Parts: sequence; structure tokens; C-alpha cells
Amino acid sequence: MDFELSPEEKAFQKEIREFLDKECNENVVAETLSLQGAGPYSKELLRKMGANRLLAPRWPEEYDGRGMGAMAEAIKVDEINSHHAPFPLDGVEIGNALLISGNEEQKKRFLPGIASGEIDIALGYTEPNAGSDIASIQLRAVEDGDHFVLNGQKIYNSEAHVCEYHWLLTRTDPTAEKKHRGLSMFIVDLKSPGITIRPLITSGGLRTNEVFYEDVHVPRENLVGEKNGGWAVIMSALYGGGGGGGLATGTKNVINTLVKYVLEEKQDADENKWIPEAMADLYVKTHVGELMGVQATAFADLKVTPPYGGGGAVSRLLSGDTRRLLYNTAMQILGPYGQLAKDSKWAPLKGEILREFMDAPRWTIVHGSQEIQKLLIATRGLGLPRK
Amino acid sequence: MDPRLSEEQEILRKSARDFLTDKCPKTLVREMEKDEKGYSPELWKEIADLGWMGLAFPEEYGGGGMSSLDLAILLEEMGRVCFPGPFFSTVICGGLPILDAGSDAQKRKYLPDIISGKTIFTLALTEASGKYDAASVKVKATAENGNYIINGTKLFIPDANVADYILCVARTDDKAKKPEDGITVFIVDAKSQGISTTVLKTIARDKQCEVVFNGVKVPKENILGELNQGWGDVQKIIERAAIAKSCEMLGGMEMVLDMTVAYVKERVQFDVPVGVFQAVQHHCVYMLVEVEGSRATAYEAAWRLSTGRPYSSEAAITKAWVSDAYQRVVALGTQSHGGVSIMEDHDLPLYFRRAKAAELAFGDARFHRKTVARNLGFKV
Ligand SMILES: Cc1cc2nc3c(=O)[nH]c(=O)nc-3n(C[C@H](O)[C@H](O)[C@H](O)COP(=O)(O)OP(=O)(O)OC[C@H]3O[C@@H](n4cnc5c(N)ncnc54)[C@H](O)[C@@H]3O)c2cc1C
Repeated sequence: MDFELSPEEKAFQKEIREFLDKECNENVVAETLSLQGAGPYSKELLRKMGANRLLAPRWPEEYDGRGMGAMAEAIKVDEINSHHAPFPLDGVEIGNALLISGNEEQKKRFLPGIASGEIDIALGYTEPNAGSDIASIQLRAVEDGDHFVLNGQKIYNSEAHVCEYHWLLTRTDPTAEKKHRGLSMFIVDLKSPGITIRPLITSGGLRTNEVFYEDVHVPRENLVGEKNGGWAVIMSALYGGGGGGGLATGTKNVINTLVKYVLEEKQDADENKWIPEAMADLYVKTHVGELMGVQATAFADLKVTPPYGGGGAVSRLLSGDTRRLLYNTAMQILGPYGQLAKDSKWAPLKGEILREFMDAPRWTIVHGSQEIQKLLIATRGLGLPRK
Repeated sequence: MDPRLSEEQEILRKSARDFLTDKCPKTLVREMEKDEKGYSPELWKEIADLGWMGLAFPEEYGGGGMSSLDLAILLEEMGRVCFPGPFFSTVICGGLPILDAGSDAQKRKYLPDIISGKTIFTLALTEASGKYDAASVKVKATAENGNYIINGTKLFIPDANVADYILCVARTDDKAKKPEDGITVFIVDAKSQGISTTVLKTIARDKQCEVVFNGVKVPKENILGELNQGWGDVQKIIERAAIAKSCEMLGGMEMVLDMTVAYVKERVQFDVPVGVFQAVQHHCVYMLVEVEGSRATAYEAAWRLSTGRPYSSEAAITKAWVSDAYQRVVALGTQSHGGVSIMEDHDLPLYFRRAKAAELAFGDARFHRKTVARNLGFKV
């Protein structure tokens, strides 16, 4: 048993932390906090990170990675979050799936671009009638000689407006007896004629998109895996990641910032006596969520199933709940000032708490809702019956 | 980062589990709840012979020379079966404090007998306030002709009814400026004149006692650590006991989770096992979150302790989390079982009762969150 990062991981953490301390300037942070997707400053930073091989530490060196484990990926995510650097969210994750499911030509074509920060890929699963139930998507792909013709609609495809490619789940066989058997995965150039991207904005101000496909021609070499074998590819994308989460430096920073605020602004007042214990509770929950996440990541690197099979999903459940609790508590601490947006007179802590409070609900919905996580833990982890 | 136990530790776990499954069935646990002593001397001897008392003590005293992490595994397994008896009092609250703060002579005198299972120890810390802070220590020890005379009442003292020795935390200087100063720990022979012990009737039917010290004479050689400077040692005892208790509680909640998952797979209502219902599945999943969180944090603290890293902060985080977690686990476990699990003869109430007792021991969640708050910078 050991709770410390390895010397190699510590060195990587130091390297990326120092790099971002220096390079993640206020223009980049402003772009990240605007929630509008990676802008020009962010793209420039991503390219610099790529040049320093900081984007895909988990990939083999031949694809500009470092051949490290899931823990290095978790360290990267943690540092990016705590610096408010742009998040090359899906490109690297999709790259992980490509490493498992892609052919040699596809790996050579896409991986170096992702690792160098030149290209990013948006995740294209969700449709208006297919959210948690991914296998019921309808966007149709019809084979036609050396290409496929695509028609249909995706929804909530984040970053599609700033990405170069789309990791797109389509239906190639509408007659398949089981609906997840008739699916195929493509990488689509988002500049292809027939694609229309329209903004959708969350109440927290985050830009995401609807993406419409109208007779879009996609060459056969962009099919990932087998035709009608899309389900296996999606599984490699969902589970090939293997952890990647856990470290909570950003959240602990927020807690410390709040403590400082309370100590400076809210001294002695009797009605604030509840605050220290509430903050301690949040710190405990954050720390425990972090530990579980980090351990799940370590198990993934060791290729060992954790006891009870819970793994990272268990940590995600706790951390998602804790995030909402944190920002709700923070809003209670700020009282009437909490309502003030960042550009308002009197706004505390640069309006950051309000922004996070408004954005917090997303984290218990995206990438598999809390309920879907619970379903997976119950049936796969605890072996509870489905029927 | 490696969350796995070593091969030797897995063997230790397995042999402890096999042994306890065989020798510590629920019938024994229930019998001991009614028993006057509260433990089985035969079982006590057997675990001493297995080297359990001595596990974490150096070999020079007859111990096994293993670590706090190894001890954590044993405590977890004991918690799983609601192990009855003064193991925790003797090892965690008696022997290890002597190893830590005792003189060479004291170590040589007391440790071998603890390790061989010959003597039982306990710690007399809490008093009428029921709190674990220095200000609550009011029992007095006054110097008199090279001895100290102890007067006052200690409350909630586990296993004092069977203890051979009591580590008594007393106030030796009531003019000291801070409540933390002027406290001394004494090793008291439990058979000394002037000690009277009454077993209290508790929720866990463990043997917590009132211990009255009425002019009890203790030679000054029996001071553990330094005169008037005992609070530092006591704090260390509390922190270590908080970690150890958390490990024990982890074992208990694992068992409740296991029992619950097994039951909801079997119990059929509306023609399906009740584990099919998502409401029940979610209960089980949240129990798992509590258990896995407890495992991560209890083992982190035990690992820090056993590798010589600072552990005060982790001890507080752990006991804060685990105290609440065990309550939630028994509540959800009971809810998922339905009526059967609130019958007195069901096993779940054994855990339900112990979860509350363990929550209160060595600081509840609120007590430890206060420490976490202090570590964050609050003045509380
Ligand atoms: C801000 C944002 C960004 C996103 N980015 C992307 C992206 O980049 N690419 C992409 O493809 N998708 C993206 N999504 C979509 C996201 O993955 C889905 O919203 C999510 O999977 C849930 O689907 P849904 O919203 O349709 O809810 P639904 O599936 O309709 O669920 C509604 C409710 O029912 C519950 N539920 C559903 N099924 C079950 C079940 N079997 N058991 C118990 N409860 C169930 C859900 O948990 C939820 O509470 C994004 C979503 C948001 C909000």
C-alpha cells in the first residue's frame, strides 16, 4: 500500500504545474471562464503544451505521448482544471479509443495532431431522442460506394464549434434486431459540406451545440472499427479511459479561497458560526472523493479490478454531489453578495462562485448521469439483478 | 500509488477472517453482551497465542514487529464480526501509549504481559462532560510523600471492570494557564485501594464503566511521560485511537453492505428479487460509496501512521467521515432489509448499536470536523 505519486509522476506534476504557472496567462483564463469553448489564446496554449508533450502523457512515445499511465492523465486533468487552462476534453479521450479500436492509418492520421494540440475532436453521441440510452440514436449513415452519406441531428455536442473533427455515432442498420448492433462510428471533418452547427447555451452560460447533418459525404476510411460495430468502439471510448479522474487540487483551492474570504470579511459575527464546520465537511468530502478517485486510477494502471468493482464511478458520484454542495454552501456564505455577477459593482471573489454555482448542475448529468453511474455500480459492481 | 495490500497482509487478513468466522460467531457476541466480564478468556488466550496483541510491538518485548497498517487489517476484521473484549483498550489505549511515551523500565515491565495476553489495560480519560478536550480533565492527582493521590470520577471507561491496569489522565497542576498544561498520565494498578468500578448499561452492551478514584495512591514511578506535560501524549492517543476505531468501523460497515447485497438478491417481492428495484439499488450504491470512502481514508491514515508521516490531519478527516458513514450504512442497510432487520435477534441491530457507540468513541464527526476547520485556518 502506498498513497504517494511515484517519482516519475511527481516530476510530471511539477513540470506541467510550472509550465502552466508560466504559460496559462489571463487571456487564456478569461477564455476558459467564459465557457465559450477554446478561443485563439487557448488554442495557442494547447499547441505549446503539445510541443512540450503535455497533452497525451498516456500515449506511446511514437504518438508523441510519454508512455505513462492513467495517473499521469489524472495529473494533467487536475493541473488544467486548477489553472483554468483549456480542456482538450474529448480529443485525448477519443485518441485513447482510437488506440484500441482504430486502424494503423487512422492512428497515424489523427493521434499526432491531437497530441500536438493542432486538432481537437468533439464528442457526437447525444441526440434529441437519445440521451442516456445512447444505443437508440438515429443519425443515419448509408453506404454508397467508397463513402457513406449521413443525415440526422445531434444535440449538446460541446466544443463542436471550435473542433476540427466530430467523433460521430451513427445508425447503419436500422433493421438490426438489437438496436446497439446497428451502429457505426465515424471521424468526420466538421468542415464537410452539409454540416450546420447551432449554439445552445446553458443557464450557466456554457456554450454547447446542435449539429445537423444533411447529405454529408464521409469517406470510408473515416469509419472506425467495423461497420455495425460501433457499440464496441463506444465501449472502448467509455472504458478505455480507465480513471483519469480523482485529484482535486482545484476544489481544494476553492475551499481555501473561501476560508480566506470568511476570515477576512466575516469575522466574529454570531450568525456565521455555522461556517467552519460546513467548510470542514466539504473539505472532508472532497478529500475522500479525491482518494477514491486516485485509487481507482491506480487500480486502472495496475489492471486490477478494485474491491467491490466500484472503481472511479463511486468517486464520481461523491464528487458530483460534493461539487453542488460546495457551491451552494459558498453561495450561502456570500449571502446577498452571491447574486452579483462578475462585472457587477460589489461582486465578491470576481463573481467566480456564482459562475460555478450556475455551472455545477452539469457535472451530475454529463458523461453518464449520476443515475446511470448508480445503475452500472449496482449491476456490475455489486452484482444486483437487472430483472 | 498502490492501493493494494501486500501478499503477507492479504494472508494476515484471510487467516484473521477464517479464525474469527470460526471462533467469533454472533452467538458468542450475544453471549458476551450479557456476560459479566464481556469477553471470553479462552478466545483471549487464543488470540494472544496467535500473536494478535503483540502484532505491532517490537520483537524485543515479544511482539511481532509489524506495522500499524497490519494492525489496521486486524481491527477491520474484528469490526466485521463485532469482536467482544478488551483488545482495543489493551493494545490501542494501553500498550501502544506505553511503547510511545513509557520509560525503558515501564516498557519492560508492562509490554511483555500485554503481548502474552496476561494483562488487560484501559484508558481513563473522559469524565462527566463526556468530551475529549483538555478542559474536561478534572480528576485530580496531588503529590504526597513521593506518591500521588488521585481523586475524582471517570466516565465511559471501556473494560475497566476487567482491567488490570488503568492509564488515568489526571490534573496535577490546576494553576496552569492553559487547560492543556498541568495534565499527567498515571499507570494505575486497577486493584489499588480506593478504586470502585460500575458497569454502565450501554447501547452496544459493551462494558463502559464509571470508575471512581477515592484517594488512590500511585507511586511517582508510575507517571507515563512527563509530569504536567501529559496532554501531548493524550492527544496522540486520541488521534491514533480515532484511526484504529475507524478501521474497526470500516469492517462493520463492510459486513452490513455484504449482508444487505446478499439479502436483496434473495428476497422476492412482486415476483422479483427486491434488488431489481432501482430505489433499493441506489441504497446499496450509496452504502458502497460510504464503505469505499471509509476504506480509502482509514487506510490512508493508517498508512501515514505506519510510515512515520504526520497523521493528525488525516486522523480527523477519517473519523469525521467514518463516524457519519457508518450511521448512513446501517440506516440504508436496515431500510433495504425491511422489517426483518429491526428484530432484536437479527444481526443488523448488532451493527446498528455498535455504529453509534463507535461514532461517539474518540470524538464524533462534529468533534473532528472542528479539527479539520482549525487546520483550514478557522479559530474554533
Ligand atoms: C452541458 C452539456 C454538455 C454535453 N456535452 C456532450 C457532448 O459533448 N457530446 C455528447 O454526445 N453529449 C453531450 N452531452 C449530453 C449528455 O451526455 C446527456 O445529457 C446525458 O447523457 C443525459 O442524457 P439526457 O440529458 O438526454 O437525459 P435523459 O437520458 O433523458 O435522462 C433524464 C433523467 O432520467 C434518468 N435516467 C435515464 N435513464 C435511466 C435509467 N436507465 N435508470 C435510471 N434513471 C435513468 C437520468 O439520469 C436523468 O435523471 C452534454 C450535456 C450537457 C448538459
